[in-house]
Amino acid sequence: MQILRKNSKKKAMTHMPLNLKTLPSRRDEAWKWTDLRGRVSDGQAGLSADGHPKFTAPEGVVLSQGEGHAGEGIMSKLAQNFAPQSWNIYVPAGFKNGEALLIEDITRGHVRVSIMVDKGAELTMIEHHSGDAATFTNFDLHIHLADGASLTRVIVHDDPIEAIRVATACVASEKDARFNQFVLSFGGGLSRLETRLHVEGAGFEANMNGAYLLRDHRHCDMSSHIDLTQPDCTIRQAVKGVVTDKARGVFQGKFLVQRPAQHTDAEMRHDALMLSDSSEIRSKPELEIYADDVACAHGNTIGQLDESALFYMQQRGIPIGQARALLTEAFLADVFDDLDDEDLKDSILGKLRDWLKDTA
Amino acid sequence: MLKINNLSASVDDGQKQILNGLSLEIPAGEVHAIMGPNGAGKSTLSYVLTGRDGYDVTGGDVTLGGEDLLDMDPEQRAAKGMFLSFQYPLEIPGVPTMTFLKTALNAQRRARGEDEMAAPEFLKKARALAADLKMKPEMLKRPLNVGFSGGEKKRMEIFQMMMLEPSFIVMDETDSGLDVDALRIVADGVNKLRSPDRGMLIITHYQRLLDYIVPDKVHVLTSGKIVASGDADFAKKLEKEGYDAYAA
Repeated sequence: MQILRKNSKKKAMTHMPLNLKTLPSRRDEAWKWTDLRGRVSDGQAGLSADGHPKFTAPEGVVLSQGEGHAGEGIMSKLAQNFAPQSWNIYVPAGFKNGEALLIEDITRGHVRVSIMVDKGAELTMIEHHSGDAATFTNFDLHIHLADGASLTRVIVHDDPIEAIRVATACVASEKDARFNQFVLSFGGGLSRLETRLHVEGAGFEANMNGAYLLRDHRHCDMSSHIDLTQPDCTIRQAVKGVVTDKARGVFQGKFLVQRPAQHTDAEMRHDALMLSDSSEIRSKPELEIYADDVACAHGNTIGQLDESALFYMQQRGIPIGQARALLTEAFLADVFDDLDDEDLKDSILGKLRDWLKDTA
Repeated sequence: MLKINNLSASVDDGQKQILNGLSLEIPAGEVHAIMGPNGAGKSTLSYVLTGRDGYDVTGGDVTLGGEDLLDMDPEQRAAKGMFLSFQYPLEIPGVPTMTFLKTALNAQRRARGEDEMAAPEFLKKARALAADLKMKPEMLKRPLNVGFSGGEKKRMEIFQMMMLEPSFIVMDETDSGLDVDALRIVADGVNKLRSPDRGMLIITHYQRLLDYIVPDKVHVLTSGKIVASGDADFAKKLEKEGYDAYAA
């Protein structure tokens, strides 16, 4: 086990403050429901600074600092500007170890991380995203999965109601790689957790599941873009959400199935519960398909808890709050069914239950 | 035990009056049946007694063991011992039957100020009762009622009754969807629950069920009130002659 933290005493880089106009706004189609520019204010903590996350890595995983990957998107460019040094993580070929890579203290500022999972290696990584007070965080993650590599990524996100966060992961995969992602988000003032997959090798398999549970004025945007360019890939995506009070949940999912991506088997689901009249769900599932021999499906539902089921539970003696919590947990929990690490799964379901208890 | 006095109730925000001054008394230890044509208010009565939303009590009162039921939430009534066997038991996806029942039983116990039942004792009781009802043990692990046949759902209602041991049971069209074998198993279960401390109200459309669960009294409900009463043989007469003679 090795613990690394960037030496924050190192002379701070001085940068021109971030020009708010460079931030994406609702005028950009991809950000129309997550108006970053409209929410960020001048001088917000972390806006023009680099962040100091803490890494705990299993023995054999190599951490270093360097230039890292240069991404294209505006948030990635901002991260490169304010955090010139990237955290680079190398997982050697054939690596296998029960321990997970932990990334914590992603509390503010621009953070860049590049991960290379080499041939046949297997890794689980856990990210804890939680800010303090009115912070701004821009987390820019690049992942490369070599032939036969397998990565399980678990994200727990819980921000204060004033915090603003963008976390973007770009994943490139080679032949027969696997990617499993499980996200649990309790939202923040404004938050967007975006995953972009670029599939460069045949036989890729991915599960991309997530649950958002939002109350008060919290906002969470789960966006994904999956670009399939190779044959025989399987994608399963299931995102579920629960919103109450004046919270807002956003789901945007896109499967782009290019002409060579024959025999793609892809399924996208988004199901949400609205527990109050003033809460909001925005959803945009998109399929764009150019290959002719594929199975692609998407489904999207928004509903409420079944009143008859609630009455049935009450009639058996279960108080209404507990009945709601049980039904909601049952609705959400299957998103984490395929998380193999039972301890991790229990811990996630525990957080979910705590939230339901507090909200009931 | 259960006293219903001059009960009136409406649905659709008062637009539709269903119960019109219904009075009925069921002492502990007795089983009463209510029969009546479609639309007489049979199901409404079961929902009013158990406190379902959307049913407005516009007059009268109901007491169970001397306590006013109408001011209580459905879960409070359940803790006081009121149990409704549903005509169409609900499916509860994602909640295993055992989890559901243990939650219900212990919520009732807490509400009554009793200790919760520990897991081993609960499991032992559940397994024994399931065997009595000829239920497959794996049914208890499945989400409640999900994918169950009509007969399995009704058997599950009886199983819940036996686990929760309520003091008063309302059975709403318990025989619907049952073949003769299932009907016999269900009726055997109900008969085992007959006791000097427990009252039962059987709401039914047909006399058939009453061959298996013989009531102490039979009442005819039409247009929201009891219009005639008799003993168990009265049900056979009703079946033969129909309800026309009692039309309001």
